[in-house]
Amino acid sequence: MSSLKAEDFIERSPLYPLQQGARLATLAHSSIVARYGEKEEHALLQRCALIDLSNLPRVGFRGSDSAAYLQARGYCLPEQPNQAVRQQDGCLVARLSQSEYLLLGSLHDLGARIAVEESRWEQDDQRNYLLPRQDSHAWLQLTGNRSAEVMAKLCGVDLRARAFASGAVAQTSAARINVIVINAGSQALPALQILCDRASVQYFWGALLDAMDEFGGGPVGIDALLD
Amino acid sequence: MNSPTRLPAPMGLLIDRERPLRFSFEGQSYQGFEGDSVASALLGNGRWLLSRSFKYHRPRGPLSMAGQDANSLVQLPEEPNVPADLHPASEGLKVAGQNFSGSLDSDRDAYLGKFSRFMPVGFYYRAFYKPKGMWKIWEPLIRKKAGLGVLDLDFKPQYYDKAYLFVDLAVIGAGPAGLRAALDAANSGAKVLLIEQQPVLGGSLNYARFDIAGTRATSLRAELLAAVEGHPNIQVLLRATCNAWFTDNYLPVIQHKRMYKVRATRCLVAAGSFDQPVVFRNNDLPGVMLTSAAQRLMKFYAVKPGQRAVVLTGNDDGYLAALDLQEQGVTVAALVDMRTTPVDSELATELKRRQIPLHLGSTVYEALHEAGMRHVSGVDIRPITGQGKVATQGLQLACDLLCMSAGYMPVYQLLCQAGGKLAYEETRAEFAISNLPTHLDIAGSVNGRHLLDNVLADAARGAAEALAALGLDVPTPAAFAAERPVNFPWPIFPHPKGKDFVDFDEDLQVRDIVNATRSGYRDIQLVKRFSTVGMGPSQGRHSALPTARLVAHATGRSIGETGVTTARPPFEAEKLAHVAGRAFDPYRQTPMHRRHLEAGAKMMPAGLWQRPAFYGKAEDRDRCMQEEARHVREKVGLIDVSTLGGLDVRGPDAAELLERLYTFGFAKLAVGRTRYALMTNEHGVVIDDGVCARLGERHFYVSATTSGVDRLYQQMLKWNAQWRLDVDITNVTAALAAVNLAGPLSRQVLAKVCEGIDLSAEAFPYLGVRLGKVAGIAARVLRVGFVGELGYEIHVPARYAERLWDVLMEAGAALGIRPFGVETQRLLRLEKGHVIISQDTDGMTHPAEIDMQWAIGRKKPFFVGKRSIEILEAQPLKRKLVGFTLPPTSAQPLEGHLVLDGADISGNVTSCEYSRTVGQIIGLAYAATHQATPGMHIPIRVEGGEIVQATVVQLPFHDPENQRQEL
Repeated sequence: MSSLKAEDFIERSPLYPLQQGARLATLAHSSIVARYGEKEEHALLQRCALIDLSNLPRVGFRGSDSAAYLQARGYCLPEQPNQAVRQQDGCLVARLSQSEYLLLGSLHDLGARIAVEESRWEQDDQRNYLLPRQDSHAWLQLTGNRSAEVMAKLCGVDLRARAFASGAVAQTSAARINVIVINAGSQALPALQILCDRASVQYFWGALLDAMDEFGGGPVGIDALLD
Repeated sequence: MNSPTRLPAPMGLLIDRERPLRFSFEGQSYQGFEGDSVASALLGNGRWLLSRSFKYHRPRGPLSMAGQDANSLVQLPEEPNVPADLHPASEGLKVAGQNFSGSLDSDRDAYLGKFSRFMPVGFYYRAFYKPKGMWKIWEPLIRKKAGLGVLDLDFKPQYYDKAYLFVDLAVIGAGPAGLRAALDAANSGAKVLLIEQQPVLGGSLNYARFDIAGTRATSLRAELLAAVEGHPNIQVLLRATCNAWFTDNYLPVIQHKRMYKVRATRCLVAAGSFDQPVVFRNNDLPGVMLTSAAQRLMKFYAVKPGQRAVVLTGNDDGYLAALDLQEQGVTVAALVDMRTTPVDSELATELKRRQIPLHLGSTVYEALHEAGMRHVSGVDIRPITGQGKVATQGLQLACDLLCMSAGYMPVYQLLCQAGGKLAYEETRAEFAISNLPTHLDIAGSVNGRHLLDNVLADAARGAAEALAALGLDVPTPAAFAAERPVNFPWPIFPHPKGKDFVDFDEDLQVRDIVNATRSGYRDIQLVKRFSTVGMGPSQGRHSALPTARLVAHATGRSIGETGVTTARPPFEAEKLAHVAGRAFDPYRQTPMHRRHLEAGAKMMPAGLWQRPAFYGKAEDRDRCMQEEARHVREKVGLIDVSTLGGLDVRGPDAAELLERLYTFGFAKLAVGRTRYALMTNEHGVVIDDGVCARLGERHFYVSATTSGVDRLYQQMLKWNAQWRLDVDITNVTAALAAVNLAGPLSRQVLAKVCEGIDLSAEAFPYLGVRLGKVAGIAARVLRVGFVGELGYEIHVPARYAERLWDVLMEAGAALGIRPFGVETQRLLRLEKGHVIISQDTDGMTHPAEIDMQWAIGRKKPFFVGKRSIEILEAQPLKRKLVGFTLPPTSAQPLEGHLVLDGADISGNVTSCEYSRTVGQIIGLAYAATHQATPGMHIPIRVEGGEIVQATVVQLPFHDPENQRQEL
């Protein structure tokens, strides 16, 4: 077991009380679960797994000048609302409305690029308002071949790959709370990025695990993703 | 104990003879096999009497063997009204009969049948309601006699859930039509969901006979199942029932303990048709069953349904069933055909070859029975002489099985829910369905196609139309052959002695239906309500068609004009557990939640939030609360206020938006200052309050009540969309956590951990707001005074909030800091006379009633509610929120207790608590304006009806000069 503890860090995931006994890795000013135990987690990842990415940086921008601002910062933006585009460095940009964008950090740089976007932003006369998505929303990743079936127990939107292709974004309700769902998966690894109210995530984590139980799913750490 | 004897294979499709099991019925042990239903296992043991009828307590046995009737309802330990012909038998299962007095075999209430002439249809409407009040006496007696099982009140809830299923094509029914259609659609690339009530695919191919040789069904079934099972584009749900049809093919499908909410682009109903009984005297005896039920018994369960059978039919299918019976060793004493000749003359030839006596143009006029009516023992066969009329003389034959089939009724229920119309085709004597919505189709016998080749061709057509609509490849449909009639037009033979049942569930005889029309209930819907026909568990599956015929004849209309009653969901009984599913009850926790639990907080709900009420055991509430309050007044306390609503309003028009939304003025509010913000709606009613803090020229941070912020956010978005201001509104309630560090020592605590903010009273006065760092965390710090002490609200990003809490508790340890909860905060603010919106206000409260005129910017040209407030203020005030006190020894009023004005009610208590600081019970209450002067007494009716005289006082109760919060 790791000697790291979530409380050693100034930033804490809202789910850390549920991660007792897990082996942690350092993620800038916070920790993240590397693995939950000695069990094989790769197979679970392929079948049905849930990962807490709440400490991975993310930020939002909204306003009529946001698109120009982000393009100037080197981001490739989705052409339409409710679409997401994977950037070359692995981070993800989702367009939530005509003028709102959500930037999700990549595990490859531990979210460093997106963290910079939040820290460097200053309000000026431009209509480009920062949205504190890392604090307003928790971030979960649901992976595996059964992801759509799991979500079908919680959500009324058809999230099967044939209806909800990679890069699609749904802003909807799951288990009676608001969620943003992004299909960021591939043929090799189906994956849904799910962002929900940070204050509700303990509830939602439990609801997801309950829905996953039928498929033998469970939580995994990021080692399984990175290996 | 009885031992089961079964027919040899291939009979017994569903049972596993290698896995015997034991269960009990009415305390007696029986053996069955894995795969048996309770009813099939009992019949396999020769046990036919399974239930007693609803009104006359007549003995009943299985009618349909498909869960479509009430004859097989039994009691399980934890569940009444379980269809024994569907429910699987299992090891150790305890099953009992229901609705009897004494024992199921010797029901003392069976005498009621002899008094049936005194219990005509609707008798209880007339007999038991007069004189007034008599129904209350009769009701329990009548309900006991019409018992429908026993509820287990110690029932432990079980896990039920729901799941969506998204498909291109939902096919309801996996008989030949459903299988063919599913296969065609799937082969062309459609994702198909195939829904089947039975535990196996095949529908009628599993039990019915389609040719004299008896080979067609078996080979076709094998061919279709081989292609369907394992097909990558077909998902099969067995033992699943589509219980309704809702707009746009939204289908609730129940399987086991789950309700699937199916969203289908196209829906094809291939649910088949219901075999129909013939109406004659004693057609309800055990041993009298639908022809298809006898075939199911043999082919599904290898149960030989009798030794000597009579088959009564109105179509060729009865002949084929007779062949099935004979091949399984049942002596067919007679085939009685109500027609004058079969359509297929080869059938008559085959019967002759097999030496089965054939009686054409005849019917069973009466079923004969053993003593106690426990089983059919014979039939009285009469030639038919006219519509519903028979000869005076006939032939009596002994038998222990009577199979009947008058024809078919399409499974119309879902289709009528979808707006489908039933039209009666006189020439074929059957109902046809039309007027279906787009994207809903039917195929097979539900569509009036009964020849097997036509059924398959119709399925191919249905699949082709679905595929065309889905934009997929369309195969070439096959042609149809000419259909033959399958329904006998008038299979109803009233008997002078009655007991010719039209509705088995409700014990309704021919004369009951006819008498209903004679009582003036001519419309089929009124007949249903007066007679209760079709209102039992089988929901008219077997009674709708004969009722339509009887009502049409009695009222001189056609059957088409008469129609059938409305079919509403659910298709079959469903449990509330299925409707409820897995309960989702979201809750919200602040980032410091864990710390509250560690500190022993008694948590309470605040909307969806979980908040500490106080720290300590529930039984120590008052002590804990008083101690926490004293600590805040004397030293320093820390409360988690993260649940307060928080909104960032940014942009060039931010101040303008707030000017229009709130009653106060904000255009001139200086950066670094806060101001109380009161919001009214268009009617001038107070709906929320908070604080607006100006963080920049174009940036306000607005707080709102915990319960009101979501509505407030919606209101802001709505108004902004209407006004088109240049402003961005962001709900940061969860994003920014907050604590209130309150008490005379709060500045000392904060000073230890604060950077970048001059905390002196001069540099950071009351109602100021500053940006800086607390515990190294970027923070918004507000000097506000909800509890009436020197205090600081510290707002930080949620990810750091637990760290903030830890650092403040550590920094304040030497000064005795302790956390305090919401209940304590409510007491502290009450001492200051601060109202809580929605606790001290209601849906009518306007600012003048709560002395909030000071919070209204009179010079502003507009704010939401301004005009209404002006109108309200021009009227005489009718009530007022006042502060009151009572001696500590007085009975303490509770929220909601009434304030009296003579014999009238003038208001109610909104807040009340004992205050150690004030030394009295203090509270807020609405009272009439003439009662609102300080020093007056208001009578309050408290628990037990006692009246206490409270003294009206000037607010606030504590620190009237507000010196403590402005230190």
